[in-house]
Amino acid sequence: MTQPPVGELEQLVLLSILRLGSEAYGSRVARELEREAGRHLSRGALYTTLDRLETKGFVRWKTQAGGAERKGLPLRVYSVTARGIAAVRTAHRLLNRMWSGLEDVLGEQR
Amino acid sequence: MRREPPWLADWLLRVSLPGERRDVIRGDLIEEFFEGGATPAARRRFWRHALSVAMRYRGRSRPGAAPTLDRSGGATMLESIAYDARYAVRSLRKRPGFVAVVLATLALGIGASTAIFSIFHGIVVKPLPFDDADRLVFARELDGGEGSSFAWPNYLDFKARAQSYERLAASQANSFTLTGVSQPRRVDGRLVTWDFFDVLRVRPQRGRSFTDADDRAGATPVALISDRFWRHELNADPGVLGRSVRMTELTFTVVGVLPPGFRYMRTEDFFVPIGLTITKDSGWLDRGNHFGLYAVGRLNAGVTVEQAHAEAQRIAADLAREYPNTNSGNGARVVLLKDRLINAVRETVVALMGAVGFLLLLACVNVSNLLIARGAARQHELAIRAALGGGRWRLVRQLLVESLMLSLAGGVLGLALAFWLVRGLVALAPPDIPRLDEISMNTASVFFGIGAALASGIVFGAFPAFQVSSQRQGHVLAGTTRTGRAFAPNRTRRVLMAAEVAIALVLLTGCGLMARTMMRLNAVDPGFRADSLLTGRLSLTGPAWTAERRRTFYGELLRRVSALPGVERAALTLSLPIEGSQWGSVFVVRDKPVPPRAELPSAAFVPVSTGYFDTMGIRLLRGRTFGPQETATSQRVTVVNESLAHRLWPGEDPIGKQLKQGWPETPEDQSPWREVIGVVADVKLEGVDQETPMQAFVPIHHDPARSVALVVRTTTDPASLISSVQAAVLSLDKDLPFSRPRTMTALMGEAISRQRLSATVLAMFALVAVLVAGVGLYGVIAHDVAERTRETGLRMALGAERGAVLRLFVRQGLVTAAIGAAAGLAAAVALSRWMQALLFDVTATDPLTYAAVVALLLGVSGVACYVPARRATRIDPLLALRTD
Repeated sequence: MTQPPVGELEQLVLLSILRLGSEAYGSRVARELEREAGRHLSRGALYTTLDRLETKGFVRWKTQAGGAERKGLPLRVYSVTARGIAAVRTAHRLLNRMWSGLEDVLGEQR
Repeated sequence: MRREPPWLADWLLRVSLPGERRDVIRGDLIEEFFEGGATPAARRRFWRHALSVAMRYRGRSRPGAAPTLDRSGGATMLESIAYDARYAVRSLRKRPGFVAVVLATLALGIGASTAIFSIFHGIVVKPLPFDDADRLVFARELDGGEGSSFAWPNYLDFKARAQSYERLAASQANSFTLTGVSQPRRVDGRLVTWDFFDVLRVRPQRGRSFTDADDRAGATPVALISDRFWRHELNADPGVLGRSVRMTELTFTVVGVLPPGFRYMRTEDFFVPIGLTITKDSGWLDRGNHFGLYAVGRLNAGVTVEQAHAEAQRIAADLAREYPNTNSGNGARVVLLKDRLINAVRETVVALMGAVGFLLLLACVNVSNLLIARGAARQHELAIRAALGGGRWRLVRQLLVESLMLSLAGGVLGLALAFWLVRGLVALAPPDIPRLDEISMNTASVFFGIGAALASGIVFGAFPAFQVSSQRQGHVLAGTTRTGRAFAPNRTRRVLMAAEVAIALVLLTGCGLMARTMMRLNAVDPGFRADSLLTGRLSLTGPAWTAERRRTFYGELLRRVSALPGVERAALTLSLPIEGSQWGSVFVVRDKPVPPRAELPSAAFVPVSTGYFDTMGIRLLRGRTFGPQETATSQRVTVVNESLAHRLWPGEDPIGKQLKQGWPETPEDQSPWREVIGVVADVKLEGVDQETPMQAFVPIHHDPARSVALVVRTTTDPASLISSVQAAVLSLDKDLPFSRPRTMTALMGEAISRQRLSATVLAMFALVAVLVAGVGLYGVIAHDVAERTRETGLRMALGAERGAVLRLFVRQGLVTAAIGAAAGLAAAVALSRWMQALLFDVTATDPLTYAAVVALLLGVSGVACYVPARRATRIDPLLALRTD
């Protein structure tokens, strides 16, 4: 299946969205990335990455009304599409395939 | 109260993000801001995120997408303005000559305005450099309506009775002679009451201020010195506190050093408590003596200066009732300290600001004209643009962006020019202009310059933008503008041209009036021969200089100086002409009834040496001047000036009459009757542009003043004799400086330096205005000629003479100029009121000046029209008919 490739950063973003579920909007994704993956992403880069993922068809979003803590401004909650999940899976499998045979080099020292 | 996210960053997000994304991202960032506790750290994060997002999106609907022309496609405001800006740069780059002229005109206009604004701001607007300076007031007494200083007992009563002040101190400007150094010098200083610095809220950088205990007769003499004095005279000695400084009068102990940059009224170096001089026989305790003491006070909270003034007048009236002998007819005046300081120059500076406004307007009108001309040349390009997208408003915005870019660029250049102009003007300015050292290009100037640039951009841009965009696009594209009258920018241009001529005329009129003022000032007959005169001052203060010793010294000094090579003769006087003296004294005339106190006449009593009138070249009109008959014991005599003779004895012969200095009841041994032995011509005593007061000259032999001016008439250049005269003085007393040596001509030049500065600035403006207007007129006519080539060719082919064609164009140009001149004349007359303060002996509606200015302007206009019109005559009719 021909898929547009998923870069490392994009993978991490997609995984963060999956982990966050219904809380997957802008600032939460940034926080998740930072906390779990230790990746600090500039806000501009984050939003443009989300746009790119949308163009590639890996995510879609739904608008929700925002509360007073956002001065009533709307909220975009992202979710990963089937294509997106497939792309992540492919990338994971690819990586595993490249890893195989190299456990003694790449594996942890016991 | 909840803290809000930074509005500026939020605004940035709003203009740089497109569509729905904008609100979502804003919402995210705002939510994070509040989650972060709205702390300063959260604010910084908000900014960081906002900048990062704005940079990425940069007005594009999708990063990496090409910007679109139309508004409906989700393009943001920032995006389309950025597009307009790029387009403007592209199109301006194609016309470097045009851009250069516009930038030069704007730079000149904005630069000159900003420079004058800096001066205006530094002098008039900026508060004085004291804490709460708008609470500081200056108080003085009034003598029959004229300003006068305080009598010490009056000051004490004011201080005790007034409720308006937190504190009221007083001071007297003075100078000291620094001795005990290789070159004795005069040092300017001030006698102050102990609380003087407390009123100003100035604390010494080292040591202490004065206390009540320092401020009485018999106290140990202490002094506060300026930072400059500490550094230059005492080499910034860290052990300066407790050091002694010897002045002729006393030796003072330094108790404190004032902060650097401290200045009150004038630059002074040495401050001592006034109480030291207020002894029983000093004359200070006499309520009738006014020795140059003025008060400075800090108003209580809630008290206005008007209230303080009213109170002071009430107190003065009370004192006049309680002490009718000395205080009758006296009043008082209280003004803001700043007003006192800048009064003399305020009107001049305001008038210059007005002139500057005109220059800026002229620059805008001229640039507007240029833009319209260029718009006419760009018809096609603009029509296509308009047809392609957005319609008229889009085009207007495009042109406005172009104007604003030009004006901001011109503004930046103008600010650079202003920087140099301010430095130049401050260097040229007469040193006695108040607050000269506070003038600089600062934040206020930069704001003014940018504001002027933006305003100009809108003013000169809006007009052509609407003008040009109102064409009927269809006609233009179809090329049916052959007749050149599908639109008529030329009529608009003519109107603008007339406006330019009007403005140039107003500025030229101001310049012309100032030029005549300068001529008048220079033509004033000062009453004496000012050439080849050297002057300087000597001060013989201190108890060691008794009257007898002074007398002997003066005699010996004149002998030595007269014997110097290059010296024709020398003399002494209490006050130099032009530089003036404030020493007036009432006097009584023997053969007339004594008028009431308030109406007693007052004259300047000037002790002079015998050869004074000859040395100065003052004409003797009647009788004789002083001679060897005047000894220590002879009858007291006086020589009066013409004004006094006419005022007191109109139509009579004043020779032989008697007068007495002082009040009618002053005993004769203090002030004897003097016989008038001669009348001399009036001499300008207080400045070239001032009235001549009454003067009575007395022999210095009888009244050996402590402070005198030496005047030396030389056979060679007076400046070359300064050192030999100084040596002669020092040879008589090594502790005596010959201070402020200057030639008389230099002194007179200084007296009118303020008017000279105004005249120079206005001349500069007028020159620029005439140049700009002339070049503008040239441009209009040249454009006219080019546009009507076909028509001209047709005329000539049909038999019109070249001369007639020339006259046609010139006449049209001159009519425009004449209309402008008429409008300018009306404006100049209307504004003449504000000019009057600057002028001397010239009315602001002087017909001669106006006529000359109109003639000059029409002449220049004629030339400006003639040159391009001549080109019209050289048109080959055949070629012309073929052009399109």
